[in-house]
Amino acid sequence: MKIVQEATAGTLESSDLLVKVQPNQGVEVIVNSDVNKQFGDQIRKVVNDTLKILNVTDGLIIIDDKGALDCAIKARVECAVLRGADDQQLDWSKLL
Amino acid sequence: MSYFSDTAIDYLVVNITDMPNDCQQIKQLLKLANLDLDPNVTCFIVAKSDDKIIACAGIDRNIIKCVAIHPDYQGNQLNLTLIDKTIKYAYEKGYFHLFLYTKPENQPFFKGCGFYPIVEVPNLVVLMENTPVGIKQYCKQLALQRQPGAKIGSIVMNANPFTKGHQYLINYAASQCDWLHLFVVNEDASQFSFDDRLKLVKAGTTSVHNLTIYPSSSYIISKATFPTYFLKEAAKLDQAYMGIDLLIFRNYIAPALHITHRFVGSEPFSDVTRAYNDSMRYWLQDEKASCYPAIELVEIERIKEDEMIISASLVRKYLAQKEYEKVKQLVPPSTWDYLQKALH
Repeated sequence: MKIVQEATAGTLESSDLLVKVQPNQGVEVIVNSDVNKQFGDQIRKVVNDTLKILNVTDGLIIIDDKGALDCAIKARVECAVLRGADDQQLDWSKLL
Repeated sequence: MSYFSDTAIDYLVVNITDMPNDCQQIKQLLKLANLDLDPNVTCFIVAKSDDKIIACAGIDRNIIKCVAIHPDYQGNQLNLTLIDKTIKYAYEKGYFHLFLYTKPENQPFFKGCGFYPIVEVPNLVVLMENTPVGIKQYCKQLALQRQPGAKIGSIVMNANPFTKGHQYLINYAASQCDWLHLFVVNEDASQFSFDDRLKLVKAGTTSVHNLTIYPSSSYIISKATFPTYFLKEAAKLDQAYMGIDLLIFRNYIAPALHITHRFVGSEPFSDVTRAYNDSMRYWLQDEKASCYPAIELVEIERIKEDEMIISASLVRKYLAQKEYEKVKQLVPPSTWDYLQKALH
């Protein structure tokens, strides 16, 4: 799956995160978090795992995190990627 | 006023030209933050509590300006929600790449909202963008146009419209350099549209072979788009504007293209414009202004035609006065052809 257009999901509210995706060659993830020191690695892991499940091959993913839980991170990343990928043939079972 | 008041806060989009009452409230709010209303901003995202505006953020195309929060409401979630709504509004309008100018002391807050600093004029202003890779990617693309040589020149011009003076400046600079990179200011705040201006620059420089012409990007800032509300004193405003524009040039654009020289026409009209070129020298050449290599500023005496010092503003003046014979003397044949067609 490739990111073909700019898209976002989420908010900058506390305990949420704003995910921005844009077209790019290869996958690049940038995480900007209020809790980067403590949870930066965990956030990056959740993001990378989610991208892998969705089989994202190209896209720039920018995360502005305000202390979101893993489930919120996963949901927001999925949402932004699907909005930006414009992929009609989706295997929903993988997202469970 | 309680910080934890239960009153709901509503977020609204306000077009201030239709809402004189809201406009008045926004002006007062900005005044508390020591800001003025920018004449280019008509659209605001506001937070209202009890029908009173307690926070506002203006948006002018892709530039966020005039952000202020009432002192009684600072230090809670309001600011994040406000910026979030503003970003969303811009996205809805199709602007994904956003810029904002702020005072250096507010930089940490906007970093938390996903904005990244590009350059800072100490104590005055910081320019930020909402992506960590924006200017980096732009420079990567520019670097593809890099040309070999020890002396690489550059010119930034508006060419509104392209005159014999511009032509002379380009010919002279190209003769002095191994290669010349020319940026034409890309925005439609001028009398002549960008497409026309670019076309005329191209038509007037066909004989120059060591030249690349670019439309300027969002990273070459024109005075027309720089927020005037920001600083009240004209001198400081100029300093801030020039600092931002020239630091981007020195820190990002010049290294990408290995530019060593920048050529400008002299400003013969007044002390003010002479001070302008002096300050240009500071931002491009002084070691204190930036840790990036200095760019040598080359000032070229403007040429005259029949005792008239050629400038685009003089051409526009004669056009307005319908003195077409004089216009014809000031512009190259390619520009004259275009003007004649445009006049009919």
